[in-house]
Amino acid sequence: MGRFFINCDDASILSTRAHYNDLNSKERFRHNLHKSHCLKCRDFHKKNARFQRGINKLKWVKLTVEEKDRIRQRLLQAMKK
Amino acid sequence: MPDVKLVPEKWVDRYSDYLFNYTITRVNDAIKAQDLVSETFLAGLKSAHRFKGNSTERTWLISILKRKIIDHYRKINSNKGKAEVRMSYMNSSRDESGDWMEERVQDLRNPNVEDDIEQKELGEAINECIANLPERYATIFVQKTIDNMETETICKEHDITASNLWVIIHRARVQLMECLNSKWFKNE
Repeated sequence: MGRFFINCDDASILSTRAHYNDLNSKERFRHNLHKSHCLKCRDFHKKNARFQRGINKLKWVKLTVEEKDRIRQRLLQAMKK
Repeated sequence: MPDVKLVPEKWVDRYSDYLFNYTITRVNDAIKAQDLVSETFLAGLKSAHRFKGNSTERTWLISILKRKIIDHYRKINSNKGKAEVRMSYMNSSRDESGDWMEERVQDLRNPNVEDDIEQKELGEAINECIANLPERYATIFVQKTIDNMETETICKEHDITASNLWVIIHRARVQLMECLNSKWFKNE
């Protein structure tokens, strides 16, 4: 039985991992089984999904290597002084 | 709290992307944002002797950056005594007849514009919340969630196991959710 049933702490970690597509089929089954009888974890998983949608909507901007180099050069020059 | 020492040589690699994202949502100008990040590092270097180690490097740099952003807006506002109002009004519309105001109102009804505004506000809220996370949590969360780095690579870099990594990411997400609930989702 212990192979199928997990506690809420483990379920919440699986919920997070699920949003990174990191669960294997056994873990997915255990997580779904837990959610089927635990209202709290079902609710947490919904909130987690909502948070993930918010993150997915964002456009994250990154500096290019050249831009970073430019900043690094300015900093290194200032450090030499 | 253990003594925190400044390592300016690593600032660009460790914090430039984070500071840049923090800035771009506030100044809306990539070149200006880069300048502000660069100035933040220089100011940090200049006032390094005043760093007491009570906060992390990142928190300290963010506090400098916040002041730089405020100074940036002060400079704009004091320029000839007026604030600069940036309107990205379509160039072509200058030659076209039509009511300017009406077109602006129509633009605001455009779902893309609303999405952009929403995204910008959400971006600001998330950046604020990430800034409040413990440094290790923030770094690992950003690497996994935003940079989409492999679990193994992050584990090697931070010398942690995969289960530790997921616990850290999970805790970071819970803290971010709580923070966003107070800053963002309550408005929905």
